[in-house]
Amino acid sequence: MLTDFIPFALNAMTLISILLIVSMGMAIIFGLMNVINLAHGEFITIGAFVFVLVQSFGGNFWIALVVAPFVGYVFGLCLEKALISRVYSNPLHAILVTWGLSLILQQLILLTFGAAPQSVRRPFEGSIEIAGATYPIYRIFLICFAQAIFAITALIFKKSRFGLELRASIQSPEMTSVMGVDPDKINARAFASGAALAALAGVLLAPLTAVTAFMGINYLARSFFVVLVGGAGSISGVAAGSGLIGTLETALPYQIPNTVAQALVLILAIVMLRFRPKGLVPA
Amino acid sequence: MTDFTQTLRRRIARRPATLVAIAVSLVLLVLPAFVNAYALSSYRDVILFAIFALSLDVFWGKTGILSFGHATFFGLGAYGMAVTGIHFEIDPSIVSLVGLLAGVGLAALVALLVGYFILFGGVRGAYFTIVTLALTLTANHIAVGWSSVTGGDSGLIGVPPLVIFGLSFVDPFRSYYLCLAVLLAFLFGSIAIMNGRFGLILTAIQDDETKAQTLGYRTSLLLLVTFVASASMAALAGALYAAMNGFVAPDMIALLLSTEVIIWVAVGGSGTLIGAIIGTFVVWWLQQEISSFNASAWPIAIGSFFIALVLFFPRGPVALVSE
Repeated sequence: MLTDFIPFALNAMTLISILLIVSMGMAIIFGLMNVINLAHGEFITIGAFVFVLVQSFGGNFWIALVVAPFVGYVFGLCLEKALISRVYSNPLHAILVTWGLSLILQQLILLTFGAAPQSVRRPFEGSIEIAGATYPIYRIFLICFAQAIFAITALIFKKSRFGLELRASIQSPEMTSVMGVDPDKINARAFASGAALAALAGVLLAPLTAVTAFMGINYLARSFFVVLVGGAGSISGVAAGSGLIGTLETALPYQIPNTVAQALVLILAIVMLRFRPKGLVPA
Repeated sequence: MTDFTQTLRRRIARRPATLVAIAVSLVLLVLPAFVNAYALSSYRDVILFAIFALSLDVFWGKTGILSFGHATFFGLGAYGMAVTGIHFEIDPSIVSLVGLLAGVGLAALVALLVGYFILFGGVRGAYFTIVTLALTLTANHIAVGWSSVTGGDSGLIGVPPLVIFGLSFVDPFRSYYLCLAVLLAFLFGSIAIMNGRFGLILTAIQDDETKAQTLGYRTSLLLLVTFVASASMAALAGALYAAMNGFVAPDMIALLLSTEVIIWVAVGGSGTLIGAIIGTFVVWWLQQEISSFNASAWPIAIGSFFIALVLFFPRGPVALVSE
């Protein structure tokens, strides 16, 4: 019984950990600027391809883990300045622009790297035994590392000056700018940080999946669900949403076909909207 | 009689879109005289896509709420038609009608359920868009994954050709005119409805939903009715497409199709109805030109179009021309 349960719990934790990091950027960008960033999945892809590039230049996982968030941050910052900042006033325009961006980025990555999945080397081989069940070391590392990143981000959100300004802007953008906080700066930094986190998630994911130009899209849909179910603009909402979606997506396929499981998650998110339109833990 | 012609002239002057609609209909009516049978079947498909685009414009253009999931309904229509035709032993004389009913019914049911939960939950604007986007993604996963029914990645071939009340529509001329008749019925039907009381109420909801509610209109219900009607129209186009081409594939229920239909409507100018049809033809022609260049070129063109649309022509290219 326990030997069945432990791998299941760890599989669920792996997905939850990835969702935590990916969705945080999306939830904060949505809560702060009311922008749904449909190019968010491409930041994951970019992170994974930074790993591919680093490896092709003789580097390893650890170098990629440092470089990718940096690349994500700079790229996010440029995008925010050039495009996203122009569409804050109209959420529909933001959707169209970020979707356009997503299509272009996918194709550019496809043209540069080709259609064949890239493979990357994971930093830890082998498995360890936990209470009679064997489990890959890399996944254990991923869970611990992602939870640590999430905890640090949550701490920044709650305790730092940037976090304070961010939360204030989410609650009342006008009042915050009256108090002398530059909204453009907050928006740009929040957007870039979200991109950096997604790129980091891309590196963590790369050893576990096929690295292709379209790998981001699956996580895009999942992080929507997390934000829908959990609530936009709140860290606890991200945690609640990731926990629920991650557990369901891992648990359901044990009992029912994978496709039905995915449909059920969508149905759950839609039914939730009727009864808690602002999510489980609204900002 | 002069009174009548004067009234007519005044009405047309007030609504130039109707005049354009009549001109477009005439062109499409005489088109078969000038093209060969092969080209005619391509034009028939474009007409079906135009019905699909019109269905999106009826909802998006008139309520201001963008559905990113319209390919779900087109695809449900197509798969409903194909699955009933292939997996069930139905009398060949009624199989097309059953398929049409199954496809359109399925799409209407999904639109009703999804629409009920999100529209009555007070979800509007951007949230509606992403929920419908997620709907397409999930529908596509099911179409690819449930291969015993949907044929998986390769889809299904051998959809029975369209036969309605003993009348076969295998002949390209007949099928072209059937699709054209459906298109024109929907076009003039929706122009009439949208110029009438119902359209006015929708415009009021788009401008200020709270005010419309205060005036006693059940806005969520009206939006739901429009959404379900729009989804059914899209599904009919999909079901006809499956029957006339004889196959279905997962790209008929994919995000790229949802995206393309938004472009068809946006190029023609959303809310104009006839614009959706003109947009479909223009973009279809452009796609032929661009795709022949490189497979990646078309998605990049779509992406650039979205960005250009928002940054330079936020009210649509047609609005730019009419200004």
